[in-house]
Amino acid sequence: MADDAVADTLRKLAVVFADFEQRLEATPLIRKLTRGRFELADYHAFLINLRQQVKDGALWMSRAASNIGEDHLELRSTLMKHAVTEHRDFRLLETDFVAAGGRLEDIQQAKKNVGSEALSAWMFHEASKPDPFGLLGAMWIIEGLGSIKAKPWGLKVKERLGLPDDALRFLLYHGDNDVGHMEEFREMLAMVLPDEAVAERIVTTARVTARLYALQIEEIAA
Amino acid sequence: MSDSGPRLRDVYITGVGAHLPGPAVGNDRMEDHIGRIHGRDSVVGRRALRWNGIRARHYALATDGTVRDSNAGMTAKAVAAALDDAGLGVGDLRHLATATTQGDYLVPGHATAVQAELGAGPLEIASYQSVCASALMAAKGAWLQVRVGEAEVAAAAAGEFSSRWFRPGFYEGTALVDPKGRLATEADFLRFTLSDGAGAVVMEPHPREQGLSLKVEWIDLTSLAGLFDPCMWAGSTRADRADMASAWSHAGPTEAHAAGAVALLQDFELLKIVIRAWIGIWLEKVDSGRIDPDRVDHLLCHYSARSLREEIVGLLENTAAMIPEEKWFTTLPETGNIGSASIWVMLEAFMKGERPKRGDRVLLIVPESGRAMIGFMMLEVV
Repeated sequence: MADDAVADTLRKLAVVFADFEQRLEATPLIRKLTRGRFELADYHAFLINLRQQVKDGALWMSRAASNIGEDHLELRSTLMKHAVTEHRDFRLLETDFVAAGGRLEDIQQAKKNVGSEALSAWMFHEASKPDPFGLLGAMWIIEGLGSIKAKPWGLKVKERLGLPDDALRFLLYHGDNDVGHMEEFREMLAMVLPDEAVAERIVTTARVTARLYALQIEEIAA
Repeated sequence: MSDSGPRLRDVYITGVGAHLPGPAVGNDRMEDHIGRIHGRDSVVGRRALRWNGIRARHYALATDGTVRDSNAGMTAKAVAAALDDAGLGVGDLRHLATATTQGDYLVPGHATAVQAELGAGPLEIASYQSVCASALMAAKGAWLQVRVGEAEVAAAAAGEFSSRWFRPGFYEGTALVDPKGRLATEADFLRFTLSDGAGAVVMEPHPREQGLSLKVEWIDLTSLAGLFDPCMWAGSTRADRADMASAWSHAGPTEAHAAGAVALLQDFELLKIVIRAWIGIWLEKVDSGRIDPDRVDHLLCHYSARSLREEIVGLLENTAAMIPEEKWFTTLPETGNIGSASIWVMLEAFMKGERPKRGDRVLLIVPESGRAMIGFMMLEVV
């Protein structure tokens, strides 16, 4: 049954996310944030390093959509809509950076860190395969981060650094951990499940993405 | 097939006991017992009570702050009640494992004080100390003692005397009270959450002859302390708690008290993350087949289903890992949150009630925010 397969996969994905969240909590940057040692330079470094992945996000999603075959047009539409919604988000990071006292050219000219390089290469590699359904696992991780972690981080940065909201729009705007988000994801899973090999690929892709994403955050040094 | 390993015995809970000090105290009167900081009503108390859903609790403190019992005294009474329930006496006990968040003394261990209050002769004892999940640490110790044949009768007991930590003297004149006389939320919330009491279970290698026993299937504990800073703690200030050099004993008792380091504190933002970590471990147990939610007939959880936020319940439902609320059994609203003792107080009420039937599977879950831990105990009614 599709429902059982969706529930099984979601459960495995939730376990991967829990592990991911714990790994993030233990990174030096997030430790600084939760221990009240976070400085403006840390926030600048955070935005610079997030921008790389955010900028690439809509691009790999578009590529993935273009590789989805005609048996799954609905999923293709969903990914394309997601890509459209998100493909300018990196501009938000730039305006946040400037509003927080940074220079535009500094964030635009920054290089990817080791984790961002690995994450980006992995995403484009996966997106280039035919019917790259495993990337639903990557979306679970990255969108889960947006819906669960971004806002609490934003509020902590605000509390710690006393920045105005217009310097925190990316973190604060990503917003609410609502039930609707989960519903939409379930619908996407139901478009490709039940299929044991696909389910396994989704969970594996989530695991790899989580590890590389955490590496990206680990690599941030102010 | 020959069995070259140690011969392990089945172990049964043959007695349960609880001790709740004094009369039940309703929400309207609780501040009379724990006291008012600089004489003023708490500003966060109502909110805390709405969230935890507790309507009554017991205190070993009288309204004037007089101490009516000790943690050890209450724990000993629960052990005696559990032994009595099993048809045994103190002289039959061979191993006593105790759990608590804080004993009456700093040193020596809680089990020594409980043994003394119990008036027990020479005995093997073990003191387990953490927060709520210490109940299952002690249970696991006692279970293994009987299982491997080291003891014929073992007791796992847990006691808490939280209220004496909540008296104004723990906070007044410290950095936890602001210039307007308001106590910091991270300290005040717990004052409206935790209360006093004790519970105990007795384990033997055979079920009782009459009445129902509980066969212990397994006990699993997972601590994630290596990944998280303390979430509920006493002994350091909030800002410095990740640094062990900040411990109260390094600063000395007077300075530590002034800094607000000698009070129970909770980080609520971290708690949200810790709750997700508990859920992660739960989902792992379901996913690996260790727990089949459909095969659990009763869930006794040291956490209220109503306190779980909508998105957590949604996650559990969507992952086929929710145990429907009608299978939950709790005494939290009536007996309060008694830390490590809660699970045994609940089990005692459960076994004395109408619900358990032979063959039912009973799952105990004890999450501990302390430094992110969760324990599970699977039982079968026999």
